[in-house]
Amino acid sequence: MSRILDIKDLSIHFLLKSGTVKAVNRLSLSLDEGETLGLVGETGAGKTTTALGIMGLVQSPPGKTLGGEILFDGRDLLKLPTREMRKIRGNDISMIFQDPMTSLNPIDTVGEQIAEVIKLHNKVSPAEAAKEAQKMLEMVGIDGSRYNDYPHQFSGGMKQRVVIAIALACHPRLLIADEPTTALDVTIQAQVLDLMRDLRDQMNTSMILITHDLGVVAEVCDKVAIMYAGEIVEYGTLRQVYKNPCHYYTKGLFASIPNMNEKVRRLTPIKGMMPDPAALPAGCKFAERCEYAGEGCGAEQELRDVGEGHLVRCFQCRKQTGVSR
Amino acid sequence: MLRYVGKRLLMMIPVLLGVSFVVFTMLYFTPGDPAVQILGDGASTEAIEALREEMGLNNPFWIRFLTYVKDLVIDHDMGISYSTNRPVLDEILSRFPTTIELAALSVLIATCIGIFCGIVASVRQYSIFDHLATVASMIGVSMPNFWQGLMMILLFSVYLGWLPASGFDRAICWIMPSLTIGTSTAASIMRMTRSSMLEVIRQDYIRTARAKGQSELVVIMHHALKNAIIPVLTTIGISFGRMLGGAVLTESIFAIPGLGSLIVNAIKARDYPVVQGGVLFIAFVFGFVNLAVDILYAYCDPRIKSQYAGGRKKKWKGGEQA
Amino acid sequence: MNREGQDNDRKSGQFMELLSRLLMNKAAVIGLIILLVLIFCAVFADVITPYDYAAQDLKNRFVSPCYAHPFGTDNLGRDILSRVIYGARISLSVGVLSVCLSAVVGIILGAIAGFYGGAPDNLIMRVMDIFLAIPNLLLAISIAATLGNGIPNLIMAIGIGAAPTYARIVRASVLSLKEQEFVEAARAVGASDAQIIASHIIPNCLAPIIVQMTLGVASAILSTASLSFIGLGIAPPTSEWGSMLSAGRQYIRDAWYIVTFPGLAIMVTIFGLNLFGDGLRDALDPKLKN
Repeated sequence: MSRILDIKDLSIHFLLKSGTVKAVNRLSLSLDEGETLGLVGETGAGKTTTALGIMGLVQSPPGKTLGGEILFDGRDLLKLPTREMRKIRGNDISMIFQDPMTSLNPIDTVGEQIAEVIKLHNKVSPAEAAKEAQKMLEMVGIDGSRYNDYPHQFSGGMKQRVVIAIALACHPRLLIADEPTTALDVTIQAQVLDLMRDLRDQMNTSMILITHDLGVVAEVCDKVAIMYAGEIVEYGTLRQVYKNPCHYYTKGLFASIPNMNEKVRRLTPIKGMMPDPAALPAGCKFAERCEYAGEGCGAEQELRDVGEGHLVRCFQCRKQTGVSR
Repeated sequence: MLRYVGKRLLMMIPVLLGVSFVVFTMLYFTPGDPAVQILGDGASTEAIEALREEMGLNNPFWIRFLTYVKDLVIDHDMGISYSTNRPVLDEILSRFPTTIELAALSVLIATCIGIFCGIVASVRQYSIFDHLATVASMIGVSMPNFWQGLMMILLFSVYLGWLPASGFDRAICWIMPSLTIGTSTAASIMRMTRSSMLEVIRQDYIRTARAKGQSELVVIMHHALKNAIIPVLTTIGISFGRMLGGAVLTESIFAIPGLGSLIVNAIKARDYPVVQGGVLFIAFVFGFVNLAVDILYAYCDPRIKSQYAGGRKKKWKGGEQA
Repeated sequence: MNREGQDNDRKSGQFMELLSRLLMNKAAVIGLIILLVLIFCAVFADVITPYDYAAQDLKNRFVSPCYAHPFGTDNLGRDILSRVIYGARISLSVGVLSVCLSAVVGIILGAIAGFYGGAPDNLIMRVMDIFLAIPNLLLAISIAATLGNGIPNLIMAIGIGAAPTYARIVRASVLSLKEQEFVEAARAVGASDAQIIASHIIPNCLAPIIVQMTLGVASAILSTASLSFIGLGIAPPTSEWGSMLSAGRQYIRDAWYIVTFPGLAIMVTIFGLNLFGDGLRDALDPKLKN
């Protein structure tokens, strides 16, 4: 398997009048062909900003990508001219957005919106694009006859299918799905997830799935990256992270999920709030919420390998060999 | 859609009847005897009385109003002008093209300038252009039309001598009037376009379009503008009405023989049939413009169109503009 | 702690917040300053004007702006600066009074239409449609022509012409408000319709009305000037900006200052009102601000 995406030291800040919001800080990630990575974290952790950073769609101003590199197939996306980047967007890398209700243009038919991306990246006649778009609609389970319908005639789940159809229309090599099911009903969530998984397997697409739902990650992903305050605090295979969460934040996340097998009176939430990204503390960003914080947490934490590529940003975490298998 | 247009046209009838009633009533109560006016102060009482009888002025209010409406509907007759003795409708129709051409030209210029500046200002928000355009539009909407006309005459006719101060026969004469009428319209269109675009640009579907790899030009001109233009259409429609009303002043400044100056002169001369007919005619045109705007609305916004097309017309009390 | 007190505290808190948001907005502050200066001029016109606005000085006709007459003098030798300052009095009072008239008429009609719905609603709104079908200025001109000259008539003409706008705004707000629970609650404790409208509904749709009124004063001043310009409304000796322009028009070739300054005064006034009105709207509804 070859490496498709390699992010090194990516930082994205928003320069506002009231101060600098450090949304993503020295983030590194990598993804192999055909792999699915779950990017997990609570709201405001910088997940969406990371995704938009990869797409080159961070609103600027006020957003600014400071240093780092995003290697896609060995090419640094941050150094690509706009024109080249546009050829990649929607074609090699595409994105599914969080809210299907607002992600479609209300004045164009859904068919046109799918055909648009096909026409942009393929040398096809309008008729061929329309035909292809119709096929995409059917692929995501919508009758092709609804090509000429407008978004307001669709339900939320159907709209998300259209959004997925747009994202997959050019058979991208990397798909970034930003909380694709958050805005949907639970029953529809499962349908949409299944659909995405099937399509991914059919097309052998690599995927980054952004979510705060650890259950979804367990179902779909091969690897997991836990994000907190713009940093990755833990990274490893699904097994490594789920069987053996090392960072106290990850442990806290797992502890806060209700367990079907045990009867508990109360859930155990992580106390406190994520630090304000405009005023991040030095050292471990999680320290002030961490029960085990102590000396040494004030120092800058590095991502350390605790065994077989399982990376943790906490110096307290001990090396584990073999255990995580 | 056709049914909707038909319905809207039908709905215009009671409104126009109402307008004619209002105007008729107002003029009915205006002091002064038309018969005296036509015959002059020196006329004998008998002559005046005879004319009053002939004109139906002695009839009760309702009879007079119904006669007016009957003549209007059946014979398309708006009465005879007291001062020129010509049919009012002829007077209006001979003046109207000038007014409507001027208004259309001004709206066209204003729309082009307004939308263009609005787009640039919103895309380059907080840039120097944005600030300049915002201040300029603020000044533009604050300037009284007629004063702007006077200032332009002062500058371009009196001092620079570039443009004629009055007349309407040559193309060059149209420059100042259309700019005068168009400035405030351009300013309000620009303001509306800018704020509407800023609203739309933040929407998720714009990000979707960018994520497709679409060029910025298409994102702005197709995805953003086609959505943002919808409220701008309302502004254009309202401006058109204001323009028809404002023509009263601009035409008098530039001595343009249009409908506006016809009405003003008729008011001064107490030539009521002309005032009545003129106001009614403008209301009629205004109604059509509003209808056109609403149809354009539906054309631009499929959500509205489907409301018209489907059986849910009740929901939309057509023609209501915010 | 009684409820009344709490209520007042909350209201004054809201007001302070509104004020602070308004004062943060540079444009609104500029507008406010312009308005305060104008109000000052209008109130103290007798004290601050260098000359009597009607005093003719036939030896000093058409004096270009100079130290003695900063804005020059007109065809009758009257000081233009003094006349412009007095003009503020007329314009502001006509503007404010006509807006009050249209707001009162509009609020009452709109509230009735929205609150009762059905036949009264239909009747009122169809009548409003008739008035809205005539362009505003044209309607004001027709009414002014009917009523004849004079300031009260002018106020009537402009006020009636603008009333339908308020009726629409109020009706829309009332329609959305009357279904809400606090109205139901008021009805449940036995408040009369009039009480409910006056103490629950109107206070809650005040924000758009206030904004519309601020902007309405601007258009009322513009209409006043327009009407006087074509010779309707205010009779000559009174100094009004529009009639000054109208009178100065024929001397445009020789005396630019006669037509320049009154118009400038109108523009600055409307500019100030628009800035302030926009700022007020943004402060009242922060969501709308870009």
